[in-house]
Amino acid sequence: MRVLIVEDEQSLATEIEAALQKNHFLCETAHTAKDALHRTDTGSFDFILLDIGLPDRDGFWLLEELRKDHTETAIIMLTARGEVEDRIKGLDMGADDYLAKPFSLLELQSRMQAIIRRKFKLNDQSLELGAFTIHIKNRTVHYRETAIPLSRKEFDLLNYLLLHKNRPLSRMQLSDHLWGDNADDEYDSNYIDVHIKNIRKKLNAYADTDWLETVRGVGYKIKTDK
Amino acid sequence: MRLHTKLTLFAAAATIVVLGLFVWQLPFLMQKIASGNTNKNLDQQRIKALSAIKKNGIDYYFQGDSAYGSYSMLKDEYISLEPFNRSSDLTRLQTAERIIDGDTINYRILIDTFTTEQHTYLLEIGKKITSIEEDSVALQRATAGVLIGLTLIMALIQLFYTRYLLKPLGFIIRSRLIKKSFPFRERQRTLITSTYDFKYLDQAISRLMQQVNHAFEKEKEFTSNASHELMTPISIMQSKIENILTDPGLPAGTVLKLEETMRIMKRLKKIVNALLLISRIENEQYNRNDTVAVKPMIREVLEELQHRADEKDLTVEERISSIVTLHHVNRDLLFQLFYNLIHNAIRYNTTNGSIIISDEQTPQDYRLYVEDTGIGIDPHQQEGIFDRFKKSTTEREGFGLGLSIVKSIADYQRISITVTSEKGRGSRFELHFSSTHLTK
Repeated sequence: MRVLIVEDEQSLATEIEAALQKNHFLCETAHTAKDALHRTDTGSFDFILLDIGLPDRDGFWLLEELRKDHTETAIIMLTARGEVEDRIKGLDMGADDYLAKPFSLLELQSRMQAIIRRKFKLNDQSLELGAFTIHIKNRTVHYRETAIPLSRKEFDLLNYLLLHKNRPLSRMQLSDHLWGDNADDEYDSNYIDVHIKNIRKKLNAYADTDWLETVRGVGYKIKTDK
Repeated sequence: MRLHTKLTLFAAAATIVVLGLFVWQLPFLMQKIASGNTNKNLDQQRIKALSAIKKNGIDYYFQGDSAYGSYSMLKDEYISLEPFNRSSDLTRLQTAERIIDGDTINYRILIDTFTTEQHTYLLEIGKKITSIEEDSVALQRATAGVLIGLTLIMALIQLFYTRYLLKPLGFIIRSRLIKKSFPFRERQRTLITSTYDFKYLDQAISRLMQQVNHAFEKEKEFTSNASHELMTPISIMQSKIENILTDPGLPAGTVLKLEETMRIMKRLKKIVNALLLISRIENEQYNRNDTVAVKPMIREVLEELQHRADEKDLTVEERISSIVTLHHVNRDLLFQLFYNLIHNAIRYNTTNGSIIISDEQTPQDYRLYVEDTGIGIDPHQQEGIFDRFKKSTTEREGFGLGLSIVKSIADYQRISITVTSEKGRGSRFELHFSSTHLTK
């Protein structure tokens, strides 16, 4: 998948690029609207990550220009302006998603995954995890024919770990994702442990959950064979 | 009372008083003029009489009588001549009674002596006083009538002129001052007047409004810029640390240090976010057109916070009537308001404590209560709990901005909020929604 990062802040662009490259995205970076237009004219991208505050032109203007020729490309707006009106404006103008700075790179990747799932109609996709089957659309976990009831937060937690499988996620990253801006520092990190304990307890009644690993000093990860 | 009414009333009253005084003084004035005139008249008649005597000779009048008298048929005027024995010369005017043909009549009389042919005579010329007074009364009546008419005309003229003159002031008040909600967004119509004072006043007010608008725009711009300027570096730092953390060979100690740095950054992010939120609310950057059903929203908040209540083994009772719907609010802000209040009730509660969320509806208003059995607030601290950065000593977690946000949101949506609390017994927050929140 080809990604164009349109971000005037050099070091942020570098970090986004580094994170995406690890997930096998092919990245290019443009620092100005002009540069971005030039690159999209000469190549096609699956994703455009678009910063609103650009040195030469407004990001909204660029979004409008890009949408004229690139209807298939998924555009995610990245901006420090979190105003609701801006979000609505961006989405109305054809952006697929909107992330307010500062955002977590994991959050960005989750959103990209979600867009990919939507675009390729992978919503009813079910995933095998050890002896369990996870239906992302129905938000259920099954062991053979038996449905295992997980609470909303427990499923969110499992889903997020699965999105970033084979990668340790810290308690804080998980808590940030689960509770967002309303998260409390120490407070919610402990809840991750409680939730993991509950998930393990519920699943262990049916089969082994050794794919859900505790990473010492960091947090948790889901280990798969692939 | 409006300026226009006051001015009209004053002008009418002043006209009536001045003209009234004049009408009241008119008899005296008329009397004075009439008597002056009579005196002059009498004097002229004296000169005429003397010249006639000189011409005809005194005997022509006496014709054997010792005295001469003549008066008009209506007895309005008379003239008399008689020899005068005393030699002193006396000329005077007096008002006295005379009996003529058996009638006693009041006259204004000019008395004069003159000498002709070695004899001194006394000349009296009289004019009836009543005739003078009758003239004066008639004149006075006519004048009063004319004056009343004039007063009315003047009052009307003044009424219309002050109305016309003060029209620009009314315009200034209507278009610049009444029902002005900040910021002044609509375009200002220009004032058309030739009155310098109003022009000046209008310009001054318009200038002030522009300055306020300008300051408001500046602040908005600052909010937006500050947001961008602060969030970008935080974003870069966060991304950098996240990328470093993905290195599998990272020593455990370093991971912990990086986590700690992330935590501090997150705190910074939260403070900046809270300040920006308050700033945006105070800048009126949120709409107030949403309609919110209270019960489902409270349920949603409670679900979000359930795990925190569980940790302290709190009993949470939700006693919200199912039908209440609030209008003219902002959904996100209201959610944040409920969230912060309930989160607060959990945070400052004691283990095994309880929280009761209840409400009360009347046709006029709606009240929502969040009660907890927590640590309570000292009476002297209760005033400051909504103040930004005023941290109470009992506060361990948070950054003292949760309740400031609550207050900002409540003020913005015109919800009144009060707190009653007893140290060690718990607190009760009351949200008071007015009738405007209950009607579409």
